[in-house]
Amino acid sequence: MFPLLSAVVVTLLVGTALTFAAGKYARWVALATSFAFLAEVAYLLMSYPGWPGYANGIIPGFANQESYSWIHLGWLTVNYTVGVDGISLVLILLTAVLQVATVVYSWNETRRPGAWFGLVMLTCLGCVGVFIALDILLFFLFWEAVLIPMFFLIGFWGGPNRRYAALKFFVYTHVASIVMLVGLLALVFYSGATSFDYSSVYAAGHGLMTVTQTFLFLALFFGFGVKFPIVPFHTWLPDAHVEAPTGGSVLLAGLLLKLGAYGLIRWAVFVLPSGFHEAQPLLFVIAFITIAWGSIVSLAQRDLKRLVAFSSINHMGIVLLAIALGSSLGLLAAVLLMFAHGIVSALLFMVSGSVHHTYGTRDIPSLGGITPSTPVLATMVMVGSLASLGLPWLISFPAEFTALLATWDGLAYWVLIPLGILVVTAAFYIWMMQRMLFGPPRGIPADVHDLPWHESAAMSFLVAFTIFLGVFPFFLVNLITSSPIHGFPGT
Amino acid sequence: MDASTFIGPFVPELLLLGAVLLVFLFDVLGIRRNEYLSTIAVAATSLALLSVLGDLGFAPLAVFATLPSSLIDVAPSGAPLYAFTSLGLIFQAIFLLSALLVCLASASRPSHEKGAPIFYGLLLLATVGMLLVAVATDLIFLLLAIEVTSISTYLLVAYHRRESRSLEAAMKFFIIGALSTVLSFYGASLLFGAYDTTNLYAIGRATGSVGFPVLVLLGYGFLIAGLAFKVTLVPFHAWAVDVYDGAPSDVSAFLAGGTKKIGLFAFFLVFLGPILFIKATGAGTSPFSGGPLDLGPILTLTLGVLAVLTMTVGNLLALLQKEMKRMLAYSSISQAGYMLIGVTIGSAPAITGATMQIFAHVLMKGGAFLVVAGVAALGVGPLIDDWKGLGTRRPLLGVAFALMLLSLAGVPLTIGFVSKFVLFSSAVQAQGFFVWLAVAGLLNSALSVFYYARVLKVLYFEPSPAPVLPAAPRPADVLPAGGLGYGRAVAIGLIAVLIVTIGVYPQPVLGAIQAAAQHFVAVGA
Repeated sequence: MFPLLSAVVVTLLVGTALTFAAGKYARWVALATSFAFLAEVAYLLMSYPGWPGYANGIIPGFANQESYSWIHLGWLTVNYTVGVDGISLVLILLTAVLQVATVVYSWNETRRPGAWFGLVMLTCLGCVGVFIALDILLFFLFWEAVLIPMFFLIGFWGGPNRRYAALKFFVYTHVASIVMLVGLLALVFYSGATSFDYSSVYAAGHGLMTVTQTFLFLALFFGFGVKFPIVPFHTWLPDAHVEAPTGGSVLLAGLLLKLGAYGLIRWAVFVLPSGFHEAQPLLFVIAFITIAWGSIVSLAQRDLKRLVAFSSINHMGIVLLAIALGSSLGLLAAVLLMFAHGIVSALLFMVSGSVHHTYGTRDIPSLGGITPSTPVLATMVMVGSLASLGLPWLISFPAEFTALLATWDGLAYWVLIPLGILVVTAAFYIWMMQRMLFGPPRGIPADVHDLPWHESAAMSFLVAFTIFLGVFPFFLVNLITSSPIHGFPGT
Repeated sequence: MDASTFIGPFVPELLLLGAVLLVFLFDVLGIRRNEYLSTIAVAATSLALLSVLGDLGFAPLAVFATLPSSLIDVAPSGAPLYAFTSLGLIFQAIFLLSALLVCLASASRPSHEKGAPIFYGLLLLATVGMLLVAVATDLIFLLLAIEVTSISTYLLVAYHRRESRSLEAAMKFFIIGALSTVLSFYGASLLFGAYDTTNLYAIGRATGSVGFPVLVLLGYGFLIAGLAFKVTLVPFHAWAVDVYDGAPSDVSAFLAGGTKKIGLFAFFLVFLGPILFIKATGAGTSPFSGGPLDLGPILTLTLGVLAVLTMTVGNLLALLQKEMKRMLAYSSISQAGYMLIGVTIGSAPAITGATMQIFAHVLMKGGAFLVVAGVAALGVGPLIDDWKGLGTRRPLLGVAFALMLLSLAGVPLTIGFVSKFVLFSSAVQAQGFFVWLAVAGLLNSALSVFYYARVLKVLYFEPSPAPVLPAAPRPADVLPAGGLGYGRAVAIGLIAVLIVTIGVYPQPVLGAIQAAAQHFVAVGA
C-alpha cells in the first residue's frame, strides 16, 4: 500500500524547507505545497474505506496504517506508527483548508516572507502529525512541534506586546505538555503496555484499575485542557490572539485549540473509560464554567479580535461539554463543532484582521456603517457572525444543534444553560453587526479601499465550506461515525 | 601478560601522552604557532576516539580496535586496579569527543600566544586522567585519576594569568578542588578501614555484611561530599559559577562539558555497586540495629534528595542571571541533577538515560560555551542583552546556538529531548518513589524553558543595537568563516548536526549505550 500519510508529512516537510530557501518566491512555493497537501487530503478522503456502502461503511481499526521501528530498548519500544479514522480525517481536512486559506490571505506578507510561509506550514505539519500519530512519543513530538513555529509567528510578526504574549503562550502550553507527558508515560508503564503504540496502550489502559485510570485521566485532562483552553487556564489565549498576526490567529484558533480536544478524545477518553466516567462531573462543571465565562467576558469586549477570541473559549467549552457527555451523539457533536469552529473562527479572525488594516482600528464602538464603503468586507463580517451564532444552512448549525440535542439526551434540563448562553452570544453578535455594518458611518477614513483580492479569495474559500457543509453536513457525519470501535463502550 | 595485552588497552591514553610530550617539545624548541599545536591535539584526540570506537565494536572502525574483546565486560577477579567495561569505553568516547571539540575550536585561537603549548598540553593531560577514570575499579586509582584531571584543569582556568577574574576563578577552583580531594580520600580511608579493601567491586559485595555501620556511613558521606564538589551538586556548587565564568570560554566548555562528567562516572562506580548488590540480594535490615547495614535506601534517598535539590536550585538561580556565561553555568548545575537521577535509580534503563544525558550535555553545553567564546571574539559583551539580534545578523551561528538551547530545554527532535525522555521514562518505569524524580525533573525542565526561551527572544525578536563602530580591525586579524575561524565553525557545525541527527534517529546510540549499561549492571551486581 502506498504510504499516503507519510507522503503528506514529507510533502509538507519538503515544502517547508523549500519555502524557507525560496526568498521572494516563497509564497508560490507555499501555495503549491498547500494545494498539493489539499489534493493529497482529497485523495485520502476518497480512498477512505469508511464511507457508507464502501465495505459497510464501518472500519474496524485505522485506515492507511504505517508502522516503522524507531527506538527499541526492550523496556521502551517506540514506533513511527500513523493511521487515520473518521475523526482524524475531519481534522486533517480542516488543517488542509486552513493552510490554503492562510497562505492565500497573507499573500502580500513583506516581512521575511520565506520564514513566514515556512512557519505557517510547519505549524500545519505539526497539527497533521498530531492527528495521524498512533504512538505516544510521535504524538508528543508533533504536539510540541506545533509550539515552536507558533512561538515565532507570534513573537516576530505580532502586535506591540508580542514578546510577552509569545513567551506566555510558550510557557503555559509547554508546562501543560509536560504534565500530559508524565500522564502518558505513567499510562504506558503502569499499565504494562508492551509498546508506545496506540493499540497496545488502548488495550492496557482499559485493563487498569479505576483509581489509577482516574488519576491518569486527570493528568491528561490538565495537559489537554490548557490547549482547549479551559477556564481557569485560558488566560494565555486572549493575549496570544490579540498580539498574534492574523495568519497566526487563524491557525491558533482554527487548529491549535482543536489539538487539545482531539488529544482528550483519542488518548484520554477512549483509552481510560473508567477514569473518564469518574471524572465526568468535574468535566461538566468545568465545561459550564468555560462556556459561561467565555461568553460573559466576550460581552464586555470592545476590541473585535478579543471578542472573537473569547467567543472561541465559549465554543470550546461547548466542545468539552459534548465530549463530557460520553455518548456517541456527544462525540459526533464535539467533532462537528471542532470542524465548524475551525472554519468560522478562522473566517472571523481574518475579518478582524482586515477591519484592522482597512480602518486602522478594531474598536467596535468607534466604527459604524462600513457597508457602503467596503461592501465585500461587510459581507464577510456578516457571514462570519451569522455562522458563529449558528444560523441554519451554515456549518455551525448542524454542529450546535447536535450538541444541544446530545446535551438534552444526557443531561435533560441542564441544556438550558448552554442554550441560554448561545442566545445571549447571538444577541451580542447581532448588536455588533448592527453597530459596525449599518447605521450612520463613523470612523471611516477618506481613502478607504475594499478588500484586496487575496483576502477576499481566502475568505470566500472558507465561506464556500461554511455553506457547502452547512447544507450537506452528512458528509462530515458519515466520516465521524465510521469508526465505532473507537467510540464509547455500549454504543 | 605479554606486551600486546598490556599496551593494547591503553593505546588512547598513550597516544594522548605522546601528543603531550610532543607539544611540550615544541614549546622547548620555540615552535608555538597555534596552527601546528592544535593540529597535533586534534589528530591525537581523533585517533584516540577512533580507537575507542573501534574497541566498542563499531564495525567500520574495526581496524582501529586495539583492545582484545576478551577483556571487555568480564567480571573482575581478585583486586585489579582497572577493568574494561563497555560503559567505561562509551564514557571514554564521550570524554574524547569533548576534548576533540575543544581542540578543534581552539584552532581558531590567536596564532601567536605564548602559552599555547601549555594550553594544549594541559588539555590533553586532563583528558588522559578522564580516560583513566573510565576504567578504574579501585577507589584509590579512581581518585588519583580524578586528581590528574583536576590539577591540569586548575592550571587551565588560570590560563589568562594577567586577568584578575581568571586568577580568582583558578584560586577558588584550586582551593575547593583540594578540599574535595581531601574529603574523598578521607572517605576512602574510612571505607578501607571498614572493608579492608579499596576495590570497588569488593566493597559493593561486602556492603551487606559490615560490622561497622558508623564507619561505612561516614565513609560514604565524605565520598559523596567530595565527589559532589566535582559534579557541582547543590549545596556543593557555589564555586562552579565563578569558575566557569572566570575561565576562558573554551576551557569552560571543557569543564562543563567534559571534566565534570568524570565525577558522575565516579558516582556510577562508587554507588552503583552497593545499590545494585542490595537490590539483587535484598540484604540488610537497617542501620544501627546491630544487624547488617541496609545502605541501599539511605544512599537512594540521599542521592535522590541531592538530585532534586541540584536541579531546582540550579534552575532557579539560572533564571536570575543577566550574563550569558553565568546563566549557562547555573544551567549546567541543574543538568547535573538530572544526570544524578540515573545513579539514584540504578537500573539499566536509568543508567542508559543518564549516560545519554551526559553525552547530550557534552554536545549542548560544550557547544554553547564554544559559541560564547567565538562570539566574544566578535566583540559581543558578556550580558545576555548584548546578544540582541544576533540570530538575524548571523543566521547560521544563530541556528546552531538556538539548537543547543532548545536541546538544553529538552525540545523534541533534539538529543536533549531524547536523553530526558529516556531518563524520565526510566524513572516512571521504576515506579514508586522514583516517579517523583521524574515529576521533579519534568517540572524543572518546564522551569528551565523560561530562561532558554528568554535567550531565544533576545536572539531573534529584539532589534540589533545600533552598531557601535569598533576600531576597524586590520584585515590580517579577521578570522575566516565570518570571524569565527574554520576550526570553531566546524566544531559548532558538527555539534549542531549531531544534536539534530541523534535527536531524530537515536536508536544506534541508545542501543549501544543500553547494551553497555546492561553489561555494567550485570558485572556490578
